[in-house]
Amino acid sequence: MFESPTIAEFVTQSNLASTLPGTLLVAWTLLLVLVDLFAGDEREHWTPLGACLGLGVSFVANLFVYAPAADQQTALYGMFIADAFTGFLNIVILVATLLAVLMSRDYLMRAGIHRGEYYILTLLSSAGAMFMVAANDLIVVFVALELLSIPLYILAAFRSIKNDGGELALKSEESGMKYFILGAFSSAFLVFGAALVYGASGTTNIPQILEVAPAVVDAASSATFYLVVGTALLIVGLGFKVAVVPFHMWTPDVYEGAPTPVTALMSVTAKIGGFAALLRILVTALSVLLLVDGGVAAWQTTISIIAALTLVLGNFVAISQRNLKRMLAYSSIAHAGYIMVALAAAGTAGSADSATQGALVYILAYMFTNLGAFAVVMTIERVDGGGGNIDDITGLARSRPLLAMAMTIFMLSLTGIPLTAGFVGKFMVFAAAVQAGLVGLAVIGVLTSVVSAFYYMRVVVNMYLRDSSGELLPALETVYVRWAINIALAGTLIFGIFYPLASNLVSMVSIA
Amino acid sequence: MTILEFGPVSALLVISVALALIIANISRVMGPQRPTYRKSVPYESGMKPIGPATRRLPIKFYLVAVLFIIFDIEVIFFLPWAVSMRDLGVYGLTVMAVFTLILIVGFIYEWKKGGLEWE
Amino acid sequence: MELNAISIGFVVFTIFTLGGGIGVVTTRNLFQGTIWLMVSLFGVAGYFVLLSAPFLAAVQILVYIGAIAILITFAVMLTRSVTRIKTRYIRLVPSLLASLALFLILLLGVTMPIFGGVSPEHAPATVASTRDLGAALVDENGYVVPFLLASVLLTGAMIGAIFIARDDTA
Repeated sequence: MFESPTIAEFVTQSNLASTLPGTLLVAWTLLLVLVDLFAGDEREHWTPLGACLGLGVSFVANLFVYAPAADQQTALYGMFIADAFTGFLNIVILVATLLAVLMSRDYLMRAGIHRGEYYILTLLSSAGAMFMVAANDLIVVFVALELLSIPLYILAAFRSIKNDGGELALKSEESGMKYFILGAFSSAFLVFGAALVYGASGTTNIPQILEVAPAVVDAASSATFYLVVGTALLIVGLGFKVAVVPFHMWTPDVYEGAPTPVTALMSVTAKIGGFAALLRILVTALSVLLLVDGGVAAWQTTISIIAALTLVLGNFVAISQRNLKRMLAYSSIAHAGYIMVALAAAGTAGSADSATQGALVYILAYMFTNLGAFAVVMTIERVDGGGGNIDDITGLARSRPLLAMAMTIFMLSLTGIPLTAGFVGKFMVFAAAVQAGLVGLAVIGVLTSVVSAFYYMRVVVNMYLRDSSGELLPALETVYVRWAINIALAGTLIFGIFYPLASNLVSMVSIA
Repeated sequence: MTILEFGPVSALLVISVALALIIANISRVMGPQRPTYRKSVPYESGMKPIGPATRRLPIKFYLVAVLFIIFDIEVIFFLPWAVSMRDLGVYGLTVMAVFTLILIVGFIYEWKKGGLEWE
Repeated sequence: MELNAISIGFVVFTIFTLGGGIGVVTTRNLFQGTIWLMVSLFGVAGYFVLLSAPFLAAVQILVYIGAIAILITFAVMLTRSVTRIKTRYIRLVPSLLASLALFLILLLGVTMPIFGGVSPEHAPATVASTRDLGAALVDENGYVVPFLLASVLLTGAMIGAIFIARDDTA
């Protein structure tokens, strides 16, 4: 019979404190719902401010909870895991959300769709991402993934609420609809995969799967088939979420149609959530799924092929894009490919830790750089949707020298030039791949980076070397967006110049 | 609990479905059928019918249906808790109170935004 | 397969599930497709009964047949003229081949000894009752985290649904 603990017992035994960053953010968001409902006309000021404060509270809680950070602790008896991995990615998610919120106010005001729900949904989505990186059980992975995704579907369609029949409203509606249908589709794969893994191992708990999996494989029964198919379906389901080839088809349309701050947010937090779940499931739970001898996980070849395809397709298709948001969409597919390289490297026994650390540093660098690039794109976008093409930034260096400088640094970092954060991320990922014996994959990564320089540098060339058609771009952005760009720029440069900083931050991360 | 306990339920299901089918089709089987064009057209007070009989529903129905699903799922969560409520004690009550509290925020939002009004 | 109540029930519910599914993909009328979907979902509810999970069977009927099917019906009635789909289903052969191939792969994978012999798995003797389910939902060793997370998810979904569906009056 169930023995009911007292509340005090529950709080202490279940280590509730380690869930504080996520739960505080959720509680704050729910309060913000009420504030937004009853604040009256002042809500235009209070809700964005409240959202920033909530992120700050969660950030501080995160610093306190994960200050020791060395020892891995589970909360709530294994459903929730609070280790350095969780703490680090929580910080990345919170900073990304803060930057997106800073960008959003300006964008929403300009588009005339400033509503409090925007911030509430953004915060809920980020809370979902935070629970997802802390998930230690396939059921929590699923529920947190839905909490991450469902607000993003709404946010992608956010422009359609101003029903003026304009092209932007329609595109936004299409974006939300496509994202929703593909998201629901991928969730079905994820759940089916989790069900098969559960069927084979008898548990959904990730560390317990780790314990059970070798026995399942050794028993040489049909359960192995369920385990393999389940793993494949989990990769498919999460592959849709992180947009890797061949599950990337939705990305350009969704990224182009969604409001720019939402695109920036979903290109970072959705990928973080998906990759965190992939790392936890594949590296922690299923690294023991060895079908051939030699200490290489059974899924490594699959992940390597996916990574190679993603790198090649993402980078080559990005070349032909004229629209900046579409170009960044394909570039984000390519960057998912680089993180996939790290994931593949984690399949070799012994290099799981270095590969995971590489993936985390890459995610950090990608977060700062990508959000910064989207913020710059947002400042030159017109309300009617014009100004987002690569020709529209021609001569930006003359009209807005500082903005052009920032964009240049973001492009350099996306390419992976030294002294930017992108270089540190790429270096660690490729080093991990070589260490894991995936030299070919590392070579593909380096070569496609060279290809990527072509389209990133075209942006720089357009800004600096080509004459503008005459009209100078007016300053459209507010101080909030400038702050967002400044923070992104600072992150990109600090983690690029003081390169041991990032690797020191993740040095205690170990999930294998 | 064995499968045989479901015997009465399945008998009920079979009988009710069969009864519905019989009632729906008995007049077609037993009654005389001499259709003419006039008899077959939809009845619109003697007028010739204009347009299809199916009309589009207002979008409000959809919101009602979506909200119904959400509350339906909430009830599904309440039910097993309510069955074992006495075993779960104060702790179970607290967890359910937190669960409900979170949902009440959504409910207040719905109320305030007029999601429950038809107009 | 021995002939007993469970195997007869399995055959009956399989006919419901698969027949309903075939009905959904072959009918031209979206509304009839919804009815066929209900038949299919009813078959799935029957499976839950066979698997000694009567509560889940009730959930299946309440949520899927009761709510989701109604939602689909409304969605069909919201649209203008898709109660009769005019376009022909042109990719019949490729989709038939693809589903047959998938079926064969699954069939071979499950029944053939690819990774070793087929292990006859027996259902555990203890059957979780609705009472156990209620305890597991709030149990700190059980599912209290996803349970509470689900309430946040439902709240977010509710806010999103109302926000996206109601007329924008600021």
